[in-house]
Amino acid sequence: MSTKSIKAVLLVEDNPGDARLIREMLNEQGSHDTELTHVDCMSAAERHLAKRAVDIILLDPGLPDAQGLSAIRRAHAAAPRVALVVLTGLDDESLAEQALQEGAQDYLFKGQIEKRPLLRALRYARERKRLERLKDEFVSTVSHELRTPLTSISGSLGLLMGNAVGNLPAPMARLLAIAHNNSQRLVRLVDDILDIEKMEAGRIIFNFNRVDIRSLVAQAIEANRGFAERYGVRIRLEDGDIGADVRADPDRFLQVVTNLLSNAIKFSPAQNEVVVAVEKGTDMVRLTVRDHGPGIPVDFKPLIFEKFAQADVGDARQKGGTGLGLSIVKQIVDRLGGEAGFADADDGGTIFHVQLPCWDHVASLAIDRDAKPGAARLLLCEDDLDTALMLREQLRQVGYATDFAYSVSDALPCAVATQYHAVLVDMHLPDGDGVSLILRLRELAQYRDIPIIVISGDPSVGRDDLKSSKLNVLDWLNKPLDFARLVRLLAMPGAQEAKGRPRILHVDEDNAVARALSDIADVVTVNSIEAARRALKTGDFDLAVLDVSLAEGASPDLLPELRDSKNNLIPVVVFSGSGADLASEAQTQAALARSHTSIDSLIATVRDRLASWTTSVSREVI
Amino acid sequence: MTDIRILFVDDEPDMREVVDVSLGLDRKFTMRACASGADALVTAAEWSPSLILLDVMMPVMDGPTTLANLRKNWRTAHIPVVFLTARTQAGEIEQYISLGARGVLSKPFDPMTLAASVRSYLPASASQHAS
Repeated sequence: MSTKSIKAVLLVEDNPGDARLIREMLNEQGSHDTELTHVDCMSAAERHLAKRAVDIILLDPGLPDAQGLSAIRRAHAAAPRVALVVLTGLDDESLAEQALQEGAQDYLFKGQIEKRPLLRALRYARERKRLERLKDEFVSTVSHELRTPLTSISGSLGLLMGNAVGNLPAPMARLLAIAHNNSQRLVRLVDDILDIEKMEAGRIIFNFNRVDIRSLVAQAIEANRGFAERYGVRIRLEDGDIGADVRADPDRFLQVVTNLLSNAIKFSPAQNEVVVAVEKGTDMVRLTVRDHGPGIPVDFKPLIFEKFAQADVGDARQKGGTGLGLSIVKQIVDRLGGEAGFADADDGGTIFHVQLPCWDHVASLAIDRDAKPGAARLLLCEDDLDTALMLREQLRQVGYATDFAYSVSDALPCAVATQYHAVLVDMHLPDGDGVSLILRLRELAQYRDIPIIVISGDPSVGRDDLKSSKLNVLDWLNKPLDFARLVRLLAMPGAQEAKGRPRILHVDEDNAVARALSDIADVVTVNSIEAARRALKTGDFDLAVLDVSLAEGASPDLLPELRDSKNNLIPVVVFSGSGADLASEAQTQAALARSHTSIDSLIATVRDRLASWTTSVSREVI
Repeated sequence: MTDIRILFVDDEPDMREVVDVSLGLDRKFTMRACASGADALVTAAEWSPSLILLDVMMPVMDGPTTLANLRKNWRTAHIPVVFLTARTQAGEIEQYISLGARGVLSKPFDPMTLAASVRSYLPASASQHAS
């Protein structure tokens, strides 16, 4: 009955009541590993899916910004390999059936959602994930197995074609040329399939570095000149900015440029020119490849980056393409944190473009300048910018400032220049592994006892090394990151004095609320007035979250007792049956009705109250 | 010694033949082929090739293991080894180089230029001697 390997659930639901119901069902069945993210519109879901790995999507297809079949299609397009379960109305079984045709795994009737079918959907999703993995392994094995005979075939044909064993009569040479060209095409196809498979399975590791885009493009043009000559096409690199450095994986980016060039060459009429240009913008560097081909038919435009997409099948096959080149371009550019697209050129042909983040821009993001003054500062050693930015945003909401180091060589000077309260280390860094970084940090006197938390995309790497007491690692977290656990770790003794976290007194019996609150503050949860009184003696609280109807002997009497050591009243957020209780009391900052409020909006309210607390604290500090 | 001896190790008979013809395009090369890592250890010790071209994926003893064993024998420890592999990913090339390989060539290869690629990995002394 376990849903153990389903970790990340994305719930797309605009009705807070329904969302809360599902959250509670998932919490009840006690799978602590399950991390539920709730968003209330499609655009938020798409943003989330673009950046985070998700195991299952629970989708309400009646959203403010997407309805019905189009909502289902958008969710499926944003994460084609993720199990999708549609939460549909009782009156809309036909939509449910269409959903299945569109690739949804299952549907559940809203209003009748029960634990059993919900858990069954999670189990199916887990099974599906396992099958996906088997399929990936199969594709990978088959492709490798194909390579061996292909090497012998294309090698033998290559020797014959090269007249290595004597000159061939012309008719025989022609037929052998056909066989040779097609064996080469099979080789490219196998290469591309392997690349796509590795990328989709997330098995390609990107090594980000500072890349001089102009010289890399010049290198790609040089490598493709022979290919262009065969088509009677010239390639010209336009003069442009010098020193347009981007942050990219040079090998993978070379593959992007090569694919764009070979695409442009293949579709250019003979005696024409392919024009390549590099322009530097403020945040991004833009590469354009312009051909003078027939242009892209309107119908085909939405499909251009799809796998095996070729506008005019017969035509493109003649050109020897695999139908995977542009799909690979798109996938790589996405992973590089850039953007790929195309447009019709003014006088015929197509202009493809790729934008990548400027090196200077990425470097300027390394220091968190928007954090609240006085916030505890963390160092995050991570080379994936998107992951880093998202984690910074999350950590900011719980009161931390986060600086980035993109490599081992970046990290050490950062750590010396600023005394960080904790260091988060990704195991894979472009110029070394996390273990060597941690060893070098521990050699610095000021980092001997600073908490270090490891973040890893691959559970197998370096784990044995980490047992070494020399490293003294606080904990190991796998991606996708369990953020609540990270926050708990940062709040542990050792990390404790480093930061100033607000304290919340939570008078309630709802564990889900307690867990959610503990993400943003240190929480003491009690379920009676008596226990609340005892808790008040343990130290000052910055806020109380109260369900007066639940707590036994509940009465407004508790309010005047909620004071800190200086006898100031503690602000209160009421979260209870009707929400009306105590709403009129001056001390009450907000009164929310349990039946109409999701946990997420409760947290938003509490966070809002705490934000004013943080500001007042930092004023005192200054 | 006027010839350059190249020992080639691959478990696929067809592949051995293609490589034999490809390397034969360089008249200075004399080739011997082995079908397994174990054979290669014996032949390398007896024949003292100038360079060993070694397949990575072989049954029983794979390329990296064969290389490690070559390094353990003083007769073969100094012989440059170049891997020929169907799986070339950035990480793997670095891994093979760190194991002590002189270079990595990928399959499928261009049979008309294989000999020239192999020549570029030869120690200067071996090349000069023969040219």
